[in-house]
Amino acid sequence: MHNYELVYILQADLDEATLTGAVDAIEALIKNSKGEIAKVDKWGKRRLAYPIRKMREGFYVFISFQMEPSEIVNLKRALGYNEQVLRYIVVRVN
Amino acid sequence: MSDYKPRSESRGEGREGREGGSNRRYISRPKFCQFCSDQKLVIDYKNVEMMTRFVNETGKIRPRRQTGTCARHQREVASAIKNARHIALIPFEGDLWSENSY
Repeated sequence: MHNYELVYILQADLDEATLTGAVDAIEALIKNSKGEIAKVDKWGKRRLAYPIRKMREGFYVFISFQMEPSEIVNLKRALGYNEQVLRYIVVRVN
Repeated sequence: MSDYKPRSESRGEGREGREGGSNRRYISRPKFCQFCSDQKLVIDYKNVEMMTRFVNETGKIRPRRQTGTCARHQREVASAIKNARHIALIPFEGDLWSENSY
């Protein structure tokens, strides 16, 4: 198990219910890959430094978690398939 | 031969040490790596304020000779900036705080 950090950007034009639904779905994604979530921090709506898919704003969520390195590939693939996620980054921390 | 002549003519009016081509302006810089001197300071791609300090107004990574960071930490800074660019915290090009940047 290693410590990882995930920051992802959701579309900001989603309504409240689908937004929390999407956040829960990604937390479930980590749990399904046998990960342990240590901290979830919603940064909220932020202006993007440059437009992504012609959108100027995004909803940033930060998650720090523990996971087996072999499971990270599955997590990244699942995040890539999620169309509500504009961008994500997974970083290993010591 | 032709190089030598004007130099000997100008001797006397020029300042000492001028001949070595040192009429370039000296820009003072921090002499110590701030991450080496302060161990508590962590290079973090999520820290927008810190990342903008290592980037010039066109969005380029500032060189070591300007920021004073050591080689090891400059590498970490560079990758942190690239991470921050990827998640749209800082722009790939241009100023972050200028109006109508896009």
